[in-house]
Amino acid sequence: MIKHCYIHIPFCKTICSYCDFCKQFYDSQKVKEYLKNLREEIERDYQGEEMDTIYIGGGTPTCLSLEELKELMDILSLIHKSHNTEITIEGNVETISKEKLVLFKQYGINRISLGIESINENHLRFLERNHTKEQIQKTIQMIRKEGFHNLNLDLIYAIPGETIEEVQEDLDFLLSLQPEHISTYSLMIEDHTKLKIQGVKPIAEETDEEMYSLITSYLKEKGYIHYEISNFSKKGYESKHNIGYWKNEEYYGFGCGASSYKDSIRKTNTRSLTNYPKGNLLEREEVTESDKIEYEILLNLRLLEGISLSDFEEKYQMPLKDLYNYQQLVEQGLLIEEENHLRVPEEKIYVSNEIIVKLLQSKKEI
Amino acid sequence: MKQENIRNFCIIAHIDHGKSTLADRILERTGAIDKRELKDQMLDSMDLERERGITIKLNAVQLSYQKGQEEYQLNLIDTPGHVDFSYEVSRSLAACEGALLVVDAAQGIEAQTLANLYLALDNHLTIIPVINKIDLPSADPEKVTKELENIGFSREEIVRTSAKTGEGIDELLEKIIEVIPHPTGDKKKPLKALIFDSLFDSYRGVITSICIKEGEVKVGDIIRMMETGATYEVVGLSINNPKEQEVKSLIAGEVGYLYASIKSITDVHVGDTITLEDHPAEERLPGYKPMKPTVYCGLYPIESNKFEDLREALNKLKLNDAALTFEPETSKALGFGFRCGFLGLLHMEIVEERIEREFGIDLIATSPSVVYEVELNDHTKVIVDNPSKMPKREAINKTYEPYVNCSIFSPSEYIGPLMELCQDKRGTFLNMDYIDTERVTIHYELPLSEIVYDFFDRLKSCTKGYASFDYEVIGYKPSDLVKMDILLNGEIVDALSVIVHKDFAYQRGRIVVEKLREIIPRQLFEVPIQAAIGMHVIARETVKALRKDVLAKCYGGDVTRKKKLLEKQKEGKKRMKQIGSVEVPQEAFLSILSTKES
Repeated sequence: MIKHCYIHIPFCKTICSYCDFCKQFYDSQKVKEYLKNLREEIERDYQGEEMDTIYIGGGTPTCLSLEELKELMDILSLIHKSHNTEITIEGNVETISKEKLVLFKQYGINRISLGIESINENHLRFLERNHTKEQIQKTIQMIRKEGFHNLNLDLIYAIPGETIEEVQEDLDFLLSLQPEHISTYSLMIEDHTKLKIQGVKPIAEETDEEMYSLITSYLKEKGYIHYEISNFSKKGYESKHNIGYWKNEEYYGFGCGASSYKDSIRKTNTRSLTNYPKGNLLEREEVTESDKIEYEILLNLRLLEGISLSDFEEKYQMPLKDLYNYQQLVEQGLLIEEENHLRVPEEKIYVSNEIIVKLLQSKKEI
Repeated sequence: MKQENIRNFCIIAHIDHGKSTLADRILERTGAIDKRELKDQMLDSMDLERERGITIKLNAVQLSYQKGQEEYQLNLIDTPGHVDFSYEVSRSLAACEGALLVVDAAQGIEAQTLANLYLALDNHLTIIPVINKIDLPSADPEKVTKELENIGFSREEIVRTSAKTGEGIDELLEKIIEVIPHPTGDKKKPLKALIFDSLFDSYRGVITSICIKEGEVKVGDIIRMMETGATYEVVGLSINNPKEQEVKSLIAGEVGYLYASIKSITDVHVGDTITLEDHPAEERLPGYKPMKPTVYCGLYPIESNKFEDLREALNKLKLNDAALTFEPETSKALGFGFRCGFLGLLHMEIVEERIEREFGIDLIATSPSVVYEVELNDHTKVIVDNPSKMPKREAINKTYEPYVNCSIFSPSEYIGPLMELCQDKRGTFLNMDYIDTERVTIHYELPLSEIVYDFFDRLKSCTKGYASFDYEVIGYKPSDLVKMDILLNGEIVDALSVIVHKDFAYQRGRIVVEKLREIIPRQLFEVPIQAAIGMHVIARETVKALRKDVLAKCYGGDVTRKKKLLEKQKEGKKRMKQIGSVEVPQEAFLSILSTKES
């Protein structure tokens, strides 16, 4: 049963140098048109299931005007939810206001995710982000005051020129804000981003890994659980929506550039605002049974807890060990099998691609 | 056709001097093909040949030419130009009475021009020197004429052509008829047909290229191979003009193809004489000097289940390539493969490329090795064509390696760098001839193994591509040789072992481990790379452990991309060989060839 829903708002007031998401500059006329099309898509494709999680991502959903957000909230009410559905909205410090927060609260939004990325002026300039420590502190006070108790903050590290000390400073500031959830991302220089076009090169993998080690050990020391490669939370505040992805569960994806997984089909809507109303797709993949198993493995292994062997067997009617000959990887210490789970050891999670490939390669001939 | 009107000739030239284009023009001029049909370079039928601009396999074409009232039959036998194939050149020369020696009007005489000329003279052929490409803006036919005069031709003998524009082709054809002697074999005598090439055809079996020296052969004749004694019934005879055309018989002086339901190429020995079973000739025609591979390497399939496919591929190539030798060998690192012998480096490259391209088998080639001789303390001799066969150092009394006489042709301004190169390569200077004031031939005695290791690349780079070279194996000389092993993660990788001169071992070891460090990707653990002679480590590098291989974010929209990425990574691993716990890319096995400091 499908339990998750993603809604994409592809508008921003400024464009960040590293961003490769589907986004464009805010334009009220376009937003109006877009919301109309979004409503149509949901009315057409949504089949009335009750959602455990809804995630409004972007772009910058909070950059919409109060009026536009009211329309968005109205669209949101098309989707059935229960009293404990996790509903997240993404945003940035500059565009959040008291009025908007009141609106969110009214429509049941209970989780807010803010892209802080860094507090170092040089790095913010490089990332083309535009906020100050004071602004961040003020916005978060406001969020708390309006009664939001589940807050995520994003951090970017491994920025060219960044030092370990600067990562430490960012972390200390982040911790002073006492968020329930923290996501930390090593800067990826993606195709078609400003950074790529400028020819920016990533930092040395040694430094990157050193920063990652610092982040994981420091956040754990401060009482956060490291539950996914890039995600940390206080107990009970893991992102239910994202865990849905990593458990290979189905999800709706509404909006321009949004991806969905439903009825064994993974598809992504067009990234073009003009073609979006026509229902054009960027990508469509029919997922076979063996693909499903591969997805299950590569997604589950992002979680520190790994693959639940009993869940796997129940889902695929076959124990994992009958499909993959992973014993050797366990012997080499690349995987750990205990308490009904198969997982990548935490100290090796930063090279998990290599381990997953080896696991997939160990597929038995049947 | 009466014998007086037959001319059998071939074209010999340095690579790229326009041999194939000239052949095309002759074909066109004699009406064998018209311009519309003329694919560039008709005679080079293999794709690879056309790409590399070299002729690998022989090809014989029968052309007719009208001169006055008389009709002439011209048999053009194509020859490969590269030194690796000099054996094949000599085979085709044996089927001819004359040769066109083609020299590029801009480049002048080059190393292979001379090497081929001497081969032709050894075969008592009449030579027509041809200065080709006179249409080029940089052409200097007068200068090239002087060069030809310097090596003993007279001005009157020389024909100037442009295969591109067709200029001089008529004059050349006239000259062929005028100066090249016709074949003289007696068609009444018992059959003597020289097999100068063979080709495998999946419908007709082995097709032999033959030149009838004496007698006559007809369809339906029972023939006997004089060397092997095997007998066959002639199923068909044909000529190539240049489309295949069936004929009833071939008589003394003619060149053509014969097929007789011969199932395997091993039943046909190129150089053997065909005669008639019921009316045999008394003795065979002189064969060819047996050819010996000079360069060996191991070929292994990357996917070990492709071993049988590789065997089949080698068998198929062998059908048309008598010079290729192979036998199964086992490597601890690479599993099952074949030790293959080649005429030279180019021959080796071509075979590797054909296996990968035509048979779709990904290969690992171990570093090429020459054939060494080792004299043990008990004075027995051991032949070492594979470093793994090198006896223990304590048991060795003396080691020998093959030497070549190398002639380098170059503009004289590069004498300095060339001598430095040859010195670097353990060469001994013999002498130097000036062709004219600007061009020189330098003769060096060099170990063959040094030519195998990047000699050609360095020659090209130190002379801006102007020099050419040729060599001839002259025999074995004592040399202080040692076996150098490469260890990955503490274990010897047998496929990377090489035999090197002791004085050069340290340098080679250092270069090779450095190169391997660049080539071997980071793994989940640190990989030490060592070069060692016996127990003694002479160089060491380390591939650092992989520290990061992860996607920072993977949400709803990243899932498909992440899978694709991992699939690509998985594909990449297929191209690597697992040696112990280390994944080694294909190119690592050639890194041993690298001699450049990085």
